[in-house]
Amino acid sequence: MGKPKVATVWLEGCSGCHMSFLDLDENLLGILEAVELTVTPVTDFKDYDFPELDLGIVEGAVANEEQVEIIHKLREKSKFLMAWGDCAVFGGINMLRNPFQLEFLLRRGYVETESVVGGVIPAHEDLPPLLPKVLPVNEVVTVDIYVPGCPPSPDSIAYALKEVVAGRVPKLPAGMLHFD
Amino acid sequence: MEQKVEISLKIDGKEVKVPDGTSILDAARQNGVHIPTLCHQPDLTPYGGCRLCVVEVDGGPKLAASCVTPVRNGMEVVTNSARILEARRTVLEFLFAERNHYCMFCAQSGDCELQNLAYEFQMDHLTVPGLGQEFPVDTSHEDIVIDHNRCVLCGRCVRACRELAGNAVLDFHNRGGRTMIGVDLSQNLGQSSCVSCGLCMQVCPTGAIFNRHRTHYAVKGKVKDWQMVESFCPECGLLCPSIYYVKANNLIKIDGRLPSDMPDRGQLCSRGRFGPMKISRPRLTAPLGRDGDGNWRELTWEEVFKVVIKGLAGIRDASGGQSLMGLISSACSNEELGAFRYLMVKGWQAGYLDTLDGGHFRTLLSAAEGAGSNLKEVPWGAITEADLILQIGADPSKSHPIINALIRRAILEKKAKVAVIGSENTLGEWASEFLAVDQEELPSLLQALLLETSRRAKGKASKDFYPRWASKAFTGLVSRFNEAANPIIIVGQDLTGPPDPAGLKLVFDLADLKGRLPGDAWRLIILKPAGNSAGAWNLGLAARQGLNGHKPVKGGLLCLAGENDLEPGLKERLSGLEFLAVLTPYFTDDLTAAKVLIPKPTWLETGGTYALADGSGSRFVDRILEPPKGIRPVEQILAAIGQRD
Repeated sequence: MGKPKVATVWLEGCSGCHMSFLDLDENLLGILEAVELTVTPVTDFKDYDFPELDLGIVEGAVANEEQVEIIHKLREKSKFLMAWGDCAVFGGINMLRNPFQLEFLLRRGYVETESVVGGVIPAHEDLPPLLPKVLPVNEVVTVDIYVPGCPPSPDSIAYALKEVVAGRVPKLPAGMLHFD
Repeated sequence: MEQKVEISLKIDGKEVKVPDGTSILDAARQNGVHIPTLCHQPDLTPYGGCRLCVVEVDGGPKLAASCVTPVRNGMEVVTNSARILEARRTVLEFLFAERNHYCMFCAQSGDCELQNLAYEFQMDHLTVPGLGQEFPVDTSHEDIVIDHNRCVLCGRCVRACRELAGNAVLDFHNRGGRTMIGVDLSQNLGQSSCVSCGLCMQVCPTGAIFNRHRTHYAVKGKVKDWQMVESFCPECGLLCPSIYYVKANNLIKIDGRLPSDMPDRGQLCSRGRFGPMKISRPRLTAPLGRDGDGNWRELTWEEVFKVVIKGLAGIRDASGGQSLMGLISSACSNEELGAFRYLMVKGWQAGYLDTLDGGHFRTLLSAAEGAGSNLKEVPWGAITEADLILQIGADPSKSHPIINALIRRAILEKKAKVAVIGSENTLGEWASEFLAVDQEELPSLLQALLLETSRRAKGKASKDFYPRWASKAFTGLVSRFNEAANPIIIVGQDLTGPPDPAGLKLVFDLADLKGRLPGDAWRLIILKPAGNSAGAWNLGLAARQGLNGHKPVKGGLLCLAGENDLEPGLKERLSGLEFLAVLTPYFTDDLTAAKVLIPKPTWLETGGTYALADGSGSRFVDRILEPPKGIRPVEQILAAIGQRD
């Protein structure tokens, strides 16, 4: 068997999880030797034509229609799907908008903001429409592995990846689990 | 005490013996078996609300909440089968899904019982969708925030407010999924009858009720970096057991010590919990002296010692030690008081030594001398045993809030009646009688009360002898007092403050009508003005005569503990002095006669021994913080002033 093929995507999140991944520093070299990284925002890959994958990794919640499409594509191509960070696992800080109506939020953000004069709500065919509620990834597709944390610590990311490389489906032990 | 029957049962196959009436949870914990809990708090009535402590009993189909299920002979309990763990995990997931339990923007993250449970259960995701309901966030209070979105409805705050603080401000409002903790009749906390003791905040297992002070993670950092100092709060003389959390010499939070078997039951009042967090007065960090124009300029320590010694010696050499005085705040520790007395009396042969609250001592002393007996107060824990409490000329809600909590608990638990006699009804609707009277007229009312009570006690018919005070409340109180089996009288500053001891004498007589308590204690609690008044008076620092009556004094040393405004009469007398040196933690420009200001650590930075207000002993208050750079210990300063070249 060749090296496991891995892709990562960045949905509704701050990229903090990917930063935490890069924060593995020299350990990153070992991981890059053990897996083949294909599509990932780290390489600024903007094409979501995933090859057949052993592991798909997702950072961020699902908040618009484009993201729904990406996550479905990734799920289809991945043997296992790993959710990174509180946004992908629980919805995270994006869930703050869920108690409100979308229309109200857009008006408040683009039109009624105190510093804005004559603001308009952006609308263009290239702009993916927002979902009425932000969803954690496991409410859209099945997730196999969860690595929560805001962001997950480099240690827990490394632990999860090493377990996958060793052929196991990881579950973070209590000492490694954290939500903040 | 009668021995309780021993019950034997099996927990996870292990035979254990516990007294009858023990809950399964306590039986398990006493025998080293871990059962997770959330709504349970050992100091509060078991509630059985969260269902995280469920166990299997005798293989029955229904899981039982172990915190509210008593043990029974021969019972077989299983605490950790797959079925139980599944049930607990499901409960936990529902709790997380119900409201906003997203840790990354919660002030309590890292110090949260709900979060810790999730870690314990390895709950790395939710299998149920979040409900996304929105609840209000109550930011109306100066010190406490309630974010109902983070509430798990464990009811700890509700029980603590009623059972420990005796205030019953909080309760559940609404039903079902919209249930939330309500304040009074759906008030905002800031406008409610909350006494701001912060106990709800301390027992809250999540970030639903949190401190406004130093909660940002950038300030408080990680819990593991905190130091914990167990100490006592010396603010009012009740010396409530407290825990101080410190990070990098910054106070992070103050908690009461729960569990507690003290009468305070581990409470703190608003002053003890929030006071030290809110000090914003400018600290004095270097000695200051007045220049030729009367403006303050910085001095070195050597310079300031020289100025003080020269000033004091000048007066003594010209007019003798009789002209020197030492005046010290009764909020100082016994050690500071002792060192101060030694310096002034032995070192400088000062003719006059007094405390800032010496006036109260003198009134108390002359009243007690009149009463002709050794005055021994009842320990303040006795309040909760009383059936009638007379609060006369006192406002414990301000001066001693925990006394106020005990009064409320006596009302709630023992159905005690409380009569308030004074200028203001500080208990509001909790008071059974309120006799409104100004401070000056207190003795007149007390005289009427005493005479009428004695007359009625002798079975004489009620007559309107005191038209000035005739009222339903007055006659009601007279009969109540006569019928009371165990009354306690609480007196405060309106009686100890005036130089005339008449009012206080009448109170002593009134208390004596009902006889003494075991140990020859009077049915009396005297609220003293400062944190260590009892200590200062015991050490003999309070003078028998006021400073105004002591003419020869021309200068001396004043030691403050943080007082801002002295009483006008004293200030006037001090401003006439030739020389005054002031030791103070904070900058003050209040005293025109002050020639130098000498910085001094606060109680948080020194610690020391403080006497309990009821005279029943003393407590050692630990040092919590390092003083700011450049501030010397008080003993060092006093020793330097004592040395003459």
